[in-house]
Amino acid sequence: MSKIISWVDQRFPLSYFIKHELTDYPTPRNLSYWWGFGFLAGFVLVIQIVTGVFLAMHYKPDSKLAFDSIQHIMREVNYGWLIRYLHSTGASAFFAVIYTHMARTLYYGSYRRPRELLWWTGQGLLLLMMATAFMGYLLPWGQMSYWGAQVITSLFKATPVYGQEIVTWLRGGFTVDDPTLTRFFSLHYLFPFLIFAAVVIHLVALHTVRSSNPSGINLADKDNIPFHPYFTIKDLFGLGVFMIVYLLIVFFKPDLFIEAANNIPANPMQTPAHIVPEWYFLPFYAILRSVPDLAGGVVAMAISVLIFAAMPYLDRSRITGGARYRPVYRAMFYIFVINIFVLGYVGANPPTGPLKTVGEISTTIYFLIFLLLPFVSRWEERMVLARGLPAAVEEQARREIAEAEGNA
Amino acid sequence: MRKSRIVGLLFCLVFPLSGQSEETQVQRGAHVALEVCNACHSLKYIKYDDLMKIGFTKAQVDAMRGDKEMGAPLLSQMAPQDELGMFGTVPPDLSLMAKAREGGAHYIYSMITGFYTDAKGQTQNKVFPGIKMPDVFMIAQADAAGKAAIEKKARDVSVFLAWASDPQAEDRTTLGKYVIAYFVFLTILLFFLKKKIWKKLGNH
Repeated sequence: MSKIISWVDQRFPLSYFIKHELTDYPTPRNLSYWWGFGFLAGFVLVIQIVTGVFLAMHYKPDSKLAFDSIQHIMREVNYGWLIRYLHSTGASAFFAVIYTHMARTLYYGSYRRPRELLWWTGQGLLLLMMATAFMGYLLPWGQMSYWGAQVITSLFKATPVYGQEIVTWLRGGFTVDDPTLTRFFSLHYLFPFLIFAAVVIHLVALHTVRSSNPSGINLADKDNIPFHPYFTIKDLFGLGVFMIVYLLIVFFKPDLFIEAANNIPANPMQTPAHIVPEWYFLPFYAILRSVPDLAGGVVAMAISVLIFAAMPYLDRSRITGGARYRPVYRAMFYIFVINIFVLGYVGANPPTGPLKTVGEISTTIYFLIFLLLPFVSRWEERMVLARGLPAAVEEQARREIAEAEGNA
Repeated sequence: MRKSRIVGLLFCLVFPLSGQSEETQVQRGAHVALEVCNACHSLKYIKYDDLMKIGFTKAQVDAMRGDKEMGAPLLSQMAPQDELGMFGTVPPDLSLMAKAREGGAHYIYSMITGFYTDAKGQTQNKVFPGIKMPDVFMIAQADAAGKAAIEKKARDVSVFLAWASDPQAEDRTTLGKYVIAYFVFLTILLFFLKKKIWKKLGNH
């Protein structure tokens, strides 16, 4: 065995890689379970790719056959129902895990210097994931699939001058039809591999800057422990808990995330009573509808997703440890999270009466939090420093402030 | 003699599948679906041999399918073209109906039993105003006893359609229990393994 390994090592950095990225990779020992969601996201990506490849063996991307082929998978393919429910529930699980991963990053300020690129590659991953999920949702060719795609593709009408042309180009015709289905299928198969490549880049960035940690202080070497075996086992235990929740839905409540209307075959002549996207798009959909003008709504929705990338610049505080030592930022974080749920509720219901007003207020709060952050974070920094902090935190914050002012 | 009859009756109660047992609810529902609904509605994702999965014997299925093949889907007995002329619409396929409406099987039950006669003497439906389907069981005109019998039929057929929309449900939940038990056990082991490995670090 050792002979084979040394043969490989002379030609490929296998042992070096395992040592450098796993058995010797220094990881802060104080990472909580909130740091396990990145690994979970990677695991769900693998579930989605594997189940997706098997689904594609039985699925037919043809507007006349697609709906029936799903029922063929559900009823005639051996364990087809299991593969399909793993995949359809997996999409929701992926977003649940990624949103938690993002919430952890925001709470602990993990996007701060020097982790901007790590955060931006994550932002890119989120966009790829959203595109993949959106295209995948068309494939069952149910009523919600069809009308969801019709509504979302029509948003591109807001593009100046070439709006209608772009919509036609995206759909491969004047309405969502067979050409739309075949191109969405093709791209839905391609994108996960782009995601996989982007994950590798995300990990390269991570292993350069290393994990942030709940204390926010740059830890001394003695406080770092090797990733393997400490975090492999911690992540595996987390995975076990995740799998229990995920499989409970797959086996006992598999229709939880499938709209009833999507069990009716797509019918271009009949619009459903109200069209709702999947739950993971609801807050953004609510923002879209809260702006009265189409172009304004589309721009607001795009910014609402992309604005996360600006966090390293919007948050101007040099207090480390994220929300932990920052009471005002912590309050803003919780308001933001509650507000997201309110937006989700608004997005799931018809925008009439008081709910329309709630949507407009929540949309305003959403952007206000980002817009106020640059001013609030500086004011809070002065306030917190004046009030006093644990010595290590204060020392690092003052050092960072001095460095920044030295550079200026 | 009387004693043995009582024993026999008790035996049938305890082991309802042995001897001449009553049909199950899903089987009664299948009869309603095939004899009433299937006249106009297709159940295209269900094949005749699928009916054996709800406990019908081959002979019973043979009686139900007539000259149709065992592997043939349950298409409606009326041609869709004729239905279009008669109702102005093709009645929807019922195989997925219990999943395709909010409320599932409860919706189907409420719709079938939801017919009533309005002030103008016309038949209306409480859950589906403007429905094109006729009141096939004539619940709008039925007396109390008739209503109870129709409600029973509606319950039976709703249970059958719930099965038809998800024939794997039983397999799924049976397998699910083992899978969940396995993962709970595995996760407990991983928890103790994690404790054991982290102990090596000590507390400094």
